[in-house]
Amino acid sequence: MNNVRYYDIRHVRGSSTHIDIDNGVVESAGTSFFDHAVVRVLGEKGWGILTLENLDPDGPTDALIREALDLARITEDPVDLADADRRVLPVPAVGEDPRDVSLEEKTHLLAGIEQAAGCAGIVNTRARYAETNEQVRFVDSSGVEFSYEIPRCGFSVVAVAARGGEMQMGRESLHTIRGLNLRHREEMGTKAADTAVALLDARAAKGGKMRAVLDPELAGVFAHEAIGHASEGDLVREGNSVLAGKTGELIGSPTLTIVDDPSLPEFGFEPVDAEGVSVGRTELIRNGRVNAYMHSRQTLAAVGNGRAGHARASAGDPPLVRMSNTFIENGDAAYDEIVAECRNGILLKGSRGGQVDPGRGVFQFNAEYGYIVEDGALGAMVRDVSLSGEILGTLHAIALVGDDRTMHQGYCGKGGQSVPVSDGSPHILLEDAMVGGNGTD
Amino acid sequence: MELIEEILRAGGELVEEIEVYVSEASSISAELKRTLIENAGGDRGFGIGIRVVDRGRIGVSSTGSPKDWRACLNAAVASARLAHPQEWGGLPAPAALPAAPPIFDPSIRLDPDWTRSALEEMLRGAAGHDAEVTGGSASLSRSKMTIANSSGVFYDQERTSAGCSLECINEQSTGFEFDVSPFIGIDPCRTGERAAFFAEHGVEGEKIETGDYDLVLSPVALSQLLGHVLEPALSGRNVHAGRSWLAGKIGEECIGENLSISDDPSRCGLSSTRFDAEGVPARRITFFENGVLQGYAYDLRTAYRYGQESTGSAVRSGPGGAPAIGLHTLIIEGPRDAVDDEPAVYVHDIVGAHTANSLTGDFSVELSNPSWVEDGAFTVPVRSAMLAGNVFELLGAVAALGKEERLVGGAVLPAVRLNKQHIIGT
Repeated sequence: MNNVRYYDIRHVRGSSTHIDIDNGVVESAGTSFFDHAVVRVLGEKGWGILTLENLDPDGPTDALIREALDLARITEDPVDLADADRRVLPVPAVGEDPRDVSLEEKTHLLAGIEQAAGCAGIVNTRARYAETNEQVRFVDSSGVEFSYEIPRCGFSVVAVAARGGEMQMGRESLHTIRGLNLRHREEMGTKAADTAVALLDARAAKGGKMRAVLDPELAGVFAHEAIGHASEGDLVREGNSVLAGKTGELIGSPTLTIVDDPSLPEFGFEPVDAEGVSVGRTELIRNGRVNAYMHSRQTLAAVGNGRAGHARASAGDPPLVRMSNTFIENGDAAYDEIVAECRNGILLKGSRGGQVDPGRGVFQFNAEYGYIVEDGALGAMVRDVSLSGEILGTLHAIALVGDDRTMHQGYCGKGGQSVPVSDGSPHILLEDAMVGGNGTD
Repeated sequence: MELIEEILRAGGELVEEIEVYVSEASSISAELKRTLIENAGGDRGFGIGIRVVDRGRIGVSSTGSPKDWRACLNAAVASARLAHPQEWGGLPAPAALPAAPPIFDPSIRLDPDWTRSALEEMLRGAAGHDAEVTGGSASLSRSKMTIANSSGVFYDQERTSAGCSLECINEQSTGFEFDVSPFIGIDPCRTGERAAFFAEHGVEGEKIETGDYDLVLSPVALSQLLGHVLEPALSGRNVHAGRSWLAGKIGEECIGENLSISDDPSRCGLSSTRFDAEGVPARRITFFENGVLQGYAYDLRTAYRYGQESTGSAVRSGPGGAPAIGLHTLIIEGPRDAVDDEPAVYVHDIVGAHTANSLTGDFSVELSNPSWVEDGAFTVPVRSAMLAGNVFELLGAVAALGKEERLVGGAVLPAVRLNKQHIIGT
């Protein structure tokens, strides 16, 4: 197999556990098993990628490598890989190991959170728990070999309030790599219920251009959608990012620094990336300037400017350049100052997710709810409010950056794969935000 | 299959009822980065799902390893011990199945040279417009699923698919198009042409003022809104749990009086089927007839619990591939007409449909490739705009359905023309 310039094999086995409690009834609770492998071979030009189930970890791999090489036969793109540091970090210690707690006990704890959401005015409560234990083994043609195991778990609780034909919902969730997080969380059920009931009296937001304060969760999604995706080296390489060729350009306020760091012990943590490269901090935006991109070995070789170690893959899928833990660094404004400075506008809280077209440079994301800001004070609650904008330009609109950063967990989709991430930020103030809503005066 | 028989036998000794679901799939694909093929992939997938029922307690598990089926069976039995018991009338017995829908093309072979020529065809189609190609893909797949249970059901079904997609850009105007079908006869050349056209067309977009406009939603844009809002609202489980806007509205006019919406698994569609994910014969379900809500979608579990009948609506979307309520092939019927003769804002796709409020149907999204249309042609492109509204109200404002349909996900949909929708200009 002289034509094999490089190969790697990433084998991910493990189990996933779920619990679903709906209106007090344990609908479903159980464990499933998976065993996926991806064999990547770099042939004369590009990649041949074979994915299969049930790889024998001790068996011969020659035939699989040959099969992947044969797939590479039709490729034309001369792929090169940059050299990179190969190292694995220890997986952060877990408090209470979810693998040591019985499914019965987890079900009991989740039921407590679900019950707490059953307040007056609530017509439906639902709580779900999800736990995934991945055992990852990586080997490549240069003799690099890593293995590690990482448990991820968390839960969500949803409450639906109804009154006179109107319905609204509140949702809370918490996910972690640091061990079981189901104990003493009943207040999150209560909070979901409070939000749902309060939203019954909220009015639809009126769309238009206005000043907007984003809470840390939503501002984190803003960093992820508006800057994170467009800083992914594969999109930059394909000519599909408005940030391509903009290195060093001032695109935002000098108080603004945006980072992606898979080595942080947050939900997007990776001890090593999906092609065996050590992970670390990349400052995407530093003091308002485009600073660096996130890369795989391949996109680093093709584009430069940044570091490899940002390749991630869901079990059974080939690596893509992905975000991990993405955040806006703290500034120096206090929350009260931010709301006062907003004067007349809107405060947006929580996230229902977002999406971006990085080539066009346009993003959209949705808050769970918000409050009208009038004369620097919070007024009426509003619902169903979204925000859209253009990447180039919007960062200049950040007028104030707070000092109260927190991180929030979620999943990010790209190329049909979903990986765990966290996003975070302090409160920020945006001038001229494009707010969407179907309310009228 | 001997493996299935063995699992059924072993399960029969532990629990009252058992169901085994096996999927086998293989596919090939190739991807363009800019105009060169960067990678080519081959995939062999396998999965076993086991569900057991004992005194009304339902347990599930799944595995990708045939040799680990015993651990999977034990996990399913353990799962059933935890679940609360419910009313249960038994897994289905063998029944007459409808004719096989057109979902399998025996001529589809997993030939890498087909993916290469499909990519070349797309590039050829794109070359007619002023746009750079940023990426693309082509794929072929064959799969077989088998479902068997302790009541004697033992069905299998094969399906195939062929697909391609291309992304283009001109300055900051992007264009994306795809084509997918159970049959080999997709049109990569036209797919490439459309992707490049949208990238080229959007370059000199004009501002639009905030206001109410007549709108044409493409089948893709329509499917995004229906998938995130209408599908969950039609689920019998959500209805009875009190989290569907459609609960308690049977017999009421909920959408436009000229519209009917159904699930028709006999159509040529990517999820069409003879039987559902728990072995109940698939059939056409009319959800709305002339705007009036007729009923909801049920699987066995929800039907038994609430004294209803299964509508054959189980799909494998639950945790670990367990059965849950879903739709097979969503279709919409109503007056067909030219939707783009009179001036309107055409919406090719939307950004952020998943952020819609699935409970109330309220949404506000960014538009992709919005453009004025008139006399059946694209005229002036719109630079940037948001659309805010409510999916159920939107279905009450449909003026006409387009004459042509296309396969989008599991749905087969036309473009729709809508009266007076709220656009927020920038």
